Amino acid sequence: MNNAPFDAVSLGIMWDRLVSLTDEIVSTLVRSSFSTIVYESYDLSCVVLDADTNSIAQGTFGIPAFIGSAPVTLRHMLKKFPAETLKPGDIVVTNDPWLGTGHLFDITMMRPVFRKGRIVAYTVSITHLPDIGGNGFGSASTEVYQEGLRLPICKLYEAGRLNELIVEIIRTNVRVPEQVMGDVMANVSCNEVGGRELLAFMDEYGLEDLRALSAAIRGQSERAMRAKISEFRDGTYRNRIKVEGFGEPVEFAVRVDVKGDSVEIDFDGTSGCVRAGVNVPICYTNAMGLHAIKSLTLPSIPNNEGSVAPIKVKAPPGCILNALPPFPTGGRHAMGHFVTPTIYGALAEATPDRVQADSGMMNLITFQGRRRDDRAFSCLYFAAGGYGALENLDGWATLPHPSNMAVVPVEIWETLTNMTIESKRLLTDSGGAGRWRGGLGQEVVLRNDTGHTLTMLGMGNRMEFPARGMFGGGAGTLRVHAVDGSPVHAKGRIDVAPGQRITVTEAGGGGFGDPRQRSREAVRGDVLDGFVSAEAARAIYGAES
Amino acid sequence: MYRIGVDIGGTFTDFALSSASGGRMAIHKRLTTPHDPSEAVLAGVAALVAESRIEIGSVTDIVHGTTLVTNAVIERRGAVTGMLVTAGFGDIMDMGPERRYDLFDLRIKYPPPLVPRRLRIEVDERVRYDGSIEQPLDEAGVIAAAKKFRELGVEAVAICFLHAYANPAPEERAAEILREAAPEITVSTSADVFPNMREFERWTTTTLNAFTQPMFDRYVKRLEDGLAGAGFGGRLYIMGSSGGTLTTDAARRYPVRALESGPAAGALMSAHHGRALKLPNLLSFDMGGTTAKGALVRGGQAIKKYAMEVARVHEFRQGSGLPIRIPVIDMIEIGAGGGSIAEVDERGLLRVGPRSAGAMPGPACYGRGGTRPTLTDANLVLGYLDADFFLGGKMKLDKAASEKAIAENVGRPLKLETLRAAWGIHDIICEDVARAFRIHATERGFDYRNSSMVAFGGSGPLHALSVARKLKIPRVVLPVGAGVMSALGLLVSPLAFEVARSRRIHVADIDAKDFATTFAALENEAAGYLKRAGVAEADIKIVCHLDMRYQGQGHEIEVTLPSTNDVAGVFADLGELYGRAYEKAYGLRLDEPTEIVNWKVEAVGPTPSIAEGRSGTAAGGADRALKGTRQAYDPVHGGLSAWPVYDRYALAPGAVVQGPALIEEHESTCVIGAGSSVTVDAHFNLIAELSA
Repeated sequence: MNNAPFDAVSLGIMWDRLVSLTDEIVSTLVRSSFSTIVYESYDLSCVVLDADTNSIAQGTFGIPAFIGSAPVTLRHMLKKFPAETLKPGDIVVTNDPWLGTGHLFDITMMRPVFRKGRIVAYTVSITHLPDIGGNGFGSASTEVYQEGLRLPICKLYEAGRLNELIVEIIRTNVRVPEQVMGDVMANVSCNEVGGRELLAFMDEYGLEDLRALSAAIRGQSERAMRAKISEFRDGTYRNRIKVEGFGEPVEFAVRVDVKGDSVEIDFDGTSGCVRAGVNVPICYTNAMGLHAIKSLTLPSIPNNEGSVAPIKVKAPPGCILNALPPFPTGGRHAMGHFVTPTIYGALAEATPDRVQADSGMMNLITFQGRRRDDRAFSCLYFAAGGYGALENLDGWATLPHPSNMAVVPVEIWETLTNMTIESKRLLTDSGGAGRWRGGLGQEVVLRNDTGHTLTMLGMGNRMEFPARGMFGGGAGTLRVHAVDGSPVHAKGRIDVAPGQRITVTEAGGGGFGDPRQRSREAVRGDVLDGFVSAEAARAIYGAES
Repeated sequence: MYRIGVDIGGTFTDFALSSASGGRMAIHKRLTTPHDPSEAVLAGVAALVAESRIEIGSVTDIVHGTTLVTNAVIERRGAVTGMLVTAGFGDIMDMGPERRYDLFDLRIKYPPPLVPRRLRIEVDERVRYDGSIEQPLDEAGVIAAAKKFRELGVEAVAICFLHAYANPAPEERAAEILREAAPEITVSTSADVFPNMREFERWTTTTLNAFTQPMFDRYVKRLEDGLAGAGFGGRLYIMGSSGGTLTTDAARRYPVRALESGPAAGALMSAHHGRALKLPNLLSFDMGGTTAKGALVRGGQAIKKYAMEVARVHEFRQGSGLPIRIPVIDMIEIGAGGGSIAEVDERGLLRVGPRSAGAMPGPACYGRGGTRPTLTDANLVLGYLDADFFLGGKMKLDKAASEKAIAENVGRPLKLETLRAAWGIHDIICEDVARAFRIHATERGFDYRNSSMVAFGGSGPLHALSVARKLKIPRVVLPVGAGVMSALGLLVSPLAFEVARSRRIHVADIDAKDFATTFAALENEAAGYLKRAGVAEADIKIVCHLDMRYQGQGHEIEVTLPSTNDVAGVFADLGELYGRAYEKAYGLRLDEPTEIVNWKVEAVGPTPSIAEGRSGTAAGGADRALKGTRQAYDPVHGGLSAWPVYDRYALAPGAVVQGPALIEEHESTCVIGAGSSVTVDAHFNLIAELSA
């Protein structure tokens, strides 16, 4: 270790303090947010960066989409507003997909932290807004212009003064202006709190600037990460998967080079963009790639510039994993989530005891309509498919991966929307067979009891290509969306008349290893609980009775 | 007339006796009897009464705290439990929150549901979100289910229907039918156990209630019979998780409300000390062998909440336990205690806990085969603990073993000298506890900097001043009887019962009459439990709360309503009350419609008085209590120096001890760093003032 002037004790303590500071900012933000996706799913992040734009601490909770994006956004912001021109009380924002996090819904907000007249740090917060105008949260657009308001990098506050014009532009362009501005202002106050706490932290430890501490944290993270990557078997690994698009399937191709203590991931050979809001700007591909390697190496290491340094993620410009304007990106996660399992699949031979079979993944559906009392609503329904199995671990039923959400309880959903959920059941035999079984998917039946026509905006996947098993494990079952029993496109915009039923069938997770090697006791338990049918137990698992 | 508090812990069962006049107090400690915990309780009560030379007939109340319910869940030792559930929704229990509590750890774990899928039976019925009936209960289906439950050997059933909080009638009818068809099966219904929205959490709470009910019922009965046989003619109360005591009737009906009742009593005792010392805002810090527990006291009352997790299966991680919805003292649990193991973490830095060496093999210095360095080893190496005076000298510690364990596992890999490594272990635990308090307080809008701390438990006084310093808390109270705080806390808890119901409605959509009627029904229900236990109506205090939010927000803020008979006035003032609460929490108000989510009513009986223990005014210098000096670590200079060691039992009121100093008692040692000073108050509590 060479982290002078910090030893293993003082570095650990200060590092943890910085991370907990970002966690405090996150908790302030979550509790005052109007956005379901923020307060239920932590679709947000807070980051502290040093004066040289290196990220040094990020909130522990938050979806993977935001790993690595804050420093890039900050650098874009400083290109427009150079550091030496910034004043205390300035707050800079943007929601540009190519400067920020990949879609218009996320607003990235930055505030410089001044100490004795000079910038010692930046705090950045990112949240998914309740609405951004345009076509709404979905994949129905064919160009980014239809997806809503695109704010270039601009100063929301200049030396402490709110720019009313920007507020008016936002309010004029969104469906729920009070909520959107409520969330924007929550970001403002969380950045202020973050800056204050950061200065108190520096006072407490007598730090004039953060450079030395930043270097020590990043250095330590990078060394730990490199040591862990060295445990992978060296080599060049490839994988190809198919993901249903609109019309032709989209193909992801990946080559992962593991060389000593570094990893390079290249998506050369991946299909081009599509005319639907599922294209993925490189910032998101990068985040998901970093997430994949982190989860296979040091899952609990805090995110910072050092922990991502040994990993390079590339994709040729113009392919669907490096989408360029004006391709629409609203539902970039629908494609982008496949980055993680694609990499796991490639690395199966490099690290067989750590990789995970494919998951059924999560499903987000936006419902827009009116309640019985005529109040308008726009709510996200979420349901999870099964979790992919790992060596020595059955996949959990209905658990999302790689991204995350929390289910909206039936009782809350019905109160919010006045729709009725008729049933929510696990699907027997939906998990891929294996020595370790894939997680089960589910079927949810919703009925439009609102008395009004509803609009349903889907971004579903795994309708043609199931979650694959690993090392002899079977695939999970597919996802299906249906209205009154007839299958509909899971990525479309569909009107649902009063009284109609929507059936959402969630995909199962992939199995791991040969099902005939599964413990007999586990097979019997699965049959007793109905997770596996008696027929499947006989035919696939080789059960005797 | 006397009252007795009994707290069953994992190792010891603690007893405290207090006279109703507040004049006398006695304590007692004996080993817990895990095969039948009532055995130690009965023996201890007899011993305490005999030692105090009083008649058991003069004991009016026994208040009992126990971890029995918690342990039954952790060890899965409960009834064979079935579930009768709305058709189409039985699988909710396997689906859970459909959320990962850790985004990066692929191998996260969840607790299996208390009722396996094979013991869940679905029945046709459906209540809508507004409480109206869409499909009436299939009564024949319930009878068929009763038969099937019998065949399956089910002893307890949780009846869990959707939206039962909005209309409990179908659940009640199903319970009636089930009880008639299978009288030997005990039944819990979700609207009765805790009528709040969110089916997974409410149903999990209900299944836990059902799962523990037969066992807890038998236990309370055995205890009552045993006490009656010994001549006890008073009332037995069970401590609830929320800091109020329950009648045995209520506790047998709702064993889930007795989860974590021991730690709750400790927090309550902290609040009591705070009130006596006129310190209304404080942090209650309890640290033992495996975990530390923290609670916040605001305005003399421990802060409560309505959600907890029990039986966490993954390193105390939030999200890895069963989510339970009941009124509880809002406590944080930190995987930090004397047995916490120090190791090099995946960053290549030092981490302490949450893994623990437990009692077996225990810290390296116990000499029971443990080789991993623990917090207790570090405190021994630093000189804060005395190898010859651990547990009052009952157990000899091996300091050389501690040094070896720390040098090999921490010092060498991290290139730290042993003493520096030991200090690192000590300091990191203090930092972890401080961090947990800081986030806990921030989330609750609690300004910890201007509060005080009350510290207890075997390891609490070793770390309290250092934690307080990190939090910029100026004052720490180290109360007398730190080893039996929970038993003492039982004696200061009032009889109380709380009901909470989800009814989500826009403020604009109700009128004052509807508002008053809703609260009146809840008040009757809550106060009924106290009245039936013999509390006079005039002695019952009613407190009403609402969980409110701006339309569309995901988190509510609790608004406590002013206690007045002018309900219409309160109703008219709701917007203002919420606006003020919101502003206090977030520093701004919004121009959005408000809605009510949960309605809560708490009925509280009178708070019993308690003897203040020994008291005296004989001023005496600290010198008489000086036992000698010991080489202990001074973090400012980074080395050992001679610290004076005092005998706590010889320190008289008025004595002042200047840090650095160590004050020893049987179960712990108070570490007083340089710059702090401690005064002994009239009741023998140590009051430490920290330098700025």
